[in-house]
Amino acid sequence: MTGRERILAVLAGEKADSLPCMPITMTFAADVLGVKYGEYARNHRIMVDAQIKTAEMFGFDYVSTISDPTREACDLGARIEWYEDRPPAIDEEHALFLDKARLARTNAPASIAGGRMEDRLKGVEMLRERAGKDLLVEGWVEGPCAESADLRGISRLMIDFADDPDFVNELFEFTVERAVLFAGAQIEAGADIIGVGDAAASLVGPRIYREFVLPWEKRLVDSIHEKGGRVRLHICGNTRRILEGAGTLGCELVDIDYPVAMEQARALTGAQQVLAGNLDPVRDVRNGTPESIVQALEALQLQAGARWIVAAGCEIVRDTPHENVCAMVQFARAHQPFGIPQ
Amino acid sequence: MAKSQDLYDAIVNGNAKAAHAATMAAIETGVDPMALIASTMIPAMDAVGKLFEEEEYFVPELLLAGRAMKSSMELLRPLIAASGERLSAKVVIGTVKGDLHDIGKNLVASMLEGSGFDVIDLGIDVAPEKFVAAVNEQQPQIVCMSALLTVTMPSMKATIEALIAAGVRNKVKVLIGGAPVTMQYANEIGADGYSENANAAVALVRTLLAAA
Repeated sequence: MTGRERILAVLAGEKADSLPCMPITMTFAADVLGVKYGEYARNHRIMVDAQIKTAEMFGFDYVSTISDPTREACDLGARIEWYEDRPPAIDEEHALFLDKARLARTNAPASIAGGRMEDRLKGVEMLRERAGKDLLVEGWVEGPCAESADLRGISRLMIDFADDPDFVNELFEFTVERAVLFAGAQIEAGADIIGVGDAAASLVGPRIYREFVLPWEKRLVDSIHEKGGRVRLHICGNTRRILEGAGTLGCELVDIDYPVAMEQARALTGAQQVLAGNLDPVRDVRNGTPESIVQALEALQLQAGARWIVAAGCEIVRDTPHENVCAMVQFARAHQPFGIPQ
Repeated sequence: MAKSQDLYDAIVNGNAKAAHAATMAAIETGVDPMALIASTMIPAMDAVGKLFEEEEYFVPELLLAGRAMKSSMELLRPLIAASGERLSAKVVIGTVKGDLHDIGKNLVASMLEGSGFDVIDLGIDVAPEKFVAAVNEQQPQIVCMSALLTVTMPSMKATIEALIAAGVRNKVKVLIGGAPVTMQYANEIGADGYSENANAAVALVRTLLAAA
């Protein structure tokens, strides 16, 4: 089986020859290619080279266009800090919607041409071309909570939930409309799956998640499905109290970050949900050894059960020893998924 | 009795307007501001921290409680300054150079302030020399550093080195925190402590001050 076939089989509940392996790599991939991360984030050709080289070198089953959370915000004119060898970051002190009234005056562009969103789109096209049917190609969009946090400032958004719920819903609607457009373009360009990164959602409790976040995530996921795409939901952090809700979204794949026990994640999302994770990127993967990683993955497989993909809870950090990443892939290749129908 | 149940409830419920009104009412009765902090605000923020640990409260509720507490402190600060009294200890806090993430740092600052500490927030992207200058000018007992990214964690080490070079490292206890930070890293770079969350950070500051 190719990596793409392996992942698609597990997502479809079909038999696979071994466990798929989908660790998120960004700065790690740039280092593998020997390029500065600022270039990786700015130039899709470099990102594509780094992704292909990293996937081939370690034997990953997929490649991705995830790079940083600022692409959508950047194209709207939000202030971004660029660094030579680190991911660009949002300047929240001067957030685009620092003044809430600006949202009503902002018309979302009807196309994604001419900026960082288009650069990712070209990355998807090029990855599809280069990876053929061997590797799964992942597009990426920011989810409603993460993108709203980027545009408004995360602390302000957290307070807005109580102070101005109508504004929050308008902002979420604005971000989801753009995300649907962006995801659709990436699906047309050849993305097999769209990662929806909604990191800020792990900061809220179940009440706010169900009232504000879940309905807009649902609209985004449903729209991606209508366009023929699949969804990988990635919420960094402790999602224990919102995972039951997230499990109802119908995503093909849900990432579990390390603060949540995999056993608990399985119980909260049900037996049918395909889960990926959840080695601790720093404590398990970077600071561990090949032996400790294999032990941790054995325990995770027992907890996760049949529908599971090998990954860390979040990005593989840049100074991770290569033998530790190899250990993840070797484990995946040496183990079959549990209990998939023969 | 210095305790104000209205103020306590306002802080725990994250209601800044009610906290302001309850503080005004308490001041009108001639309450001693330090006694009000000790009897009402510290227990209220402790309760908020406990609710956070129990996963009844989350980041929005912590921020709202912090805002309510601040609205009360704004009224009390001038009274404390006029009386010549001082808050229990001074803490300088900031997100380290190259890192623009403020929410974790804000939560720790807010919990510390609500726990009766005098908190000097240096903001985000704080260079080592700014931490050193703040230590020299403010004479704090505690320095707290935050980083959300593995790539900005080295700025914590650089800041500790700058404190050593300036000859002030032994005048302060240095605490670090943030998602990728570990106790192991704290030990490696010579920090005095590491905390996983805002509530534990308050307990750690108290422990370090008690041991000092």
